[in-house]
Amino acid sequence: MLTSVELNALRLSLQIALVAVIASLPFAVAVAWLLARRTFVGKTLLDAIVFLPLVLPPVVIGYFLLVLLGTKGPIGGWLYETFGVRLIFTRWGAAVAAAVMSFPLMVRSIRLALEAVDRGLEFAARTLGASRFDVFFSVTLPLMLPGIVTGSIVAFATALGDFGATITFVGNVEGETQTLSLAIYSLTQTPDGDAAALRLVVISLVLALGALFVSEMLARRVRRMLGRA
Amino acid sequence: MLARALFAACVLLMSSFTAPPAARAQEITVFAAASLQNALEEIGTVYKQRTGHNAKYSFAASSALARQIEQGAPAAVFASADEQWMDYLQQRKLIVDATRKQLLGNSLVLVVPAGSKAQVDLKPGFDFATVLGSDGRWVTGDPGNVPVGRYAQEALTSLGAWDFAQTRLVRAENVRVALAFVERGEAAAGIVYSTDAALTQKVRVAGTFPASSHKPVTYPFAVVAQHDDPTAREFLAFLEKDEAKAIFRKYGFVVH
Repeated sequence: MLTSVELNALRLSLQIALVAVIASLPFAVAVAWLLARRTFVGKTLLDAIVFLPLVLPPVVIGYFLLVLLGTKGPIGGWLYETFGVRLIFTRWGAAVAAAVMSFPLMVRSIRLALEAVDRGLEFAARTLGASRFDVFFSVTLPLMLPGIVTGSIVAFATALGDFGATITFVGNVEGETQTLSLAIYSLTQTPDGDAAALRLVVISLVLALGALFVSEMLARRVRRMLGRA
Repeated sequence: MLARALFAACVLLMSSFTAPPAARAQEITVFAAASLQNALEEIGTVYKQRTGHNAKYSFAASSALARQIEQGAPAAVFASADEQWMDYLQQRKLIVDATRKQLLGNSLVLVVPAGSKAQVDLKPGFDFATVLGSDGRWVTGDPGNVPVGRYAQEALTSLGAWDFAQTRLVRAENVRVALAFVERGEAAAGIVYSTDAALTQKVRVAGTFPASSHKPVTYPFAVVAQHDDPTAREFLAFLEKDEAKAIFRKYGFVVH
């Protein structure tokens, strides 16, 4: 059915996308909260930087990551010397690349959900004695949930499909960074690789459609739950 | 006001989009292996001076280029870094067989970042693990399709190091991307052509693969069947002139 190379690529894609989304979720919520609720010097700059991966060519993002996080880069070098952690040529680096590329979409979804939350409910909770911390976790967060769910799943699908940033930063290492996109790219250059490439293309399509379908279902279910509450 | 200015800017930008090329100067599109970039660009400048025609290049892995030509890419001349990709096109009747010529040769080297002290004698049983260290990786073109990767796999297999090497391999799209990873010091080693290593101070040649360990590195050139015209044939003929040969030699290619 599927060769070991193809299974590796599939498994790796799913793992890397999952790690990317889970790791960036808390940051996305924090940044979305900052952008939605606070005004400060440099807010427009933060907004622009967060959305840069959406407008810059992916290869440029990959290049920035290479220069900053490679073992000879300022941050990557420090990571390597202090903790022996290497990001380039590893699945962790691939997760970082995927996370950076999908971050803007996650933030945008969460920010919209946050802005739609009725602040009256939050104030009511405060007058009833809840701390700010309590209000966030028991009122705001649950109301934001549909946005967080949709944002996460869209980010997951984006992370699954990343190519330019991944191949420029962590290269094509079979079993370590060769995700579905990279595997398809290699196969299309190989003579007689078309059949295998087609199999992987179909799998990618199924995954992407599945992710969007699940996202819609989950969002609907959460909205129903909140409607009743 | 702003809207009008933007509109004018767009019109100006797009006005050259479909403009026909200048009548007298002819353009010829050449698809060539990545390792030929520097030599061919210099030859292109001389070609323009001598004939007034413009050579437009697309440099990439021979595999990528061959697949593009197969899909109908408008190349007039194709230069591959191995015989297999030229055979691939010949079997599909996509090149003019009579124009196929083997013009150049090259040699395969193991390079390391300039700061590294590694030196290795490339003979059967050589210790690749020491060169790479405990967690280092080496890079070359994808052995599944890129010529330099195929030569590398062949050479390492005949020297008995492929089984180990395969576990540490990073596959690059072409030989120049592989070279760049070694230049940055991110890869502990790389296998590229000697002509590529000669272009940069940031890598050092740690050893040269014996010619007997791999198929000879040869560069076949041919005119693409779909775009067979006098300019294409003229360009190919120009590459065999002494002037062009001197430039190839300058970059370290073996001229046949």
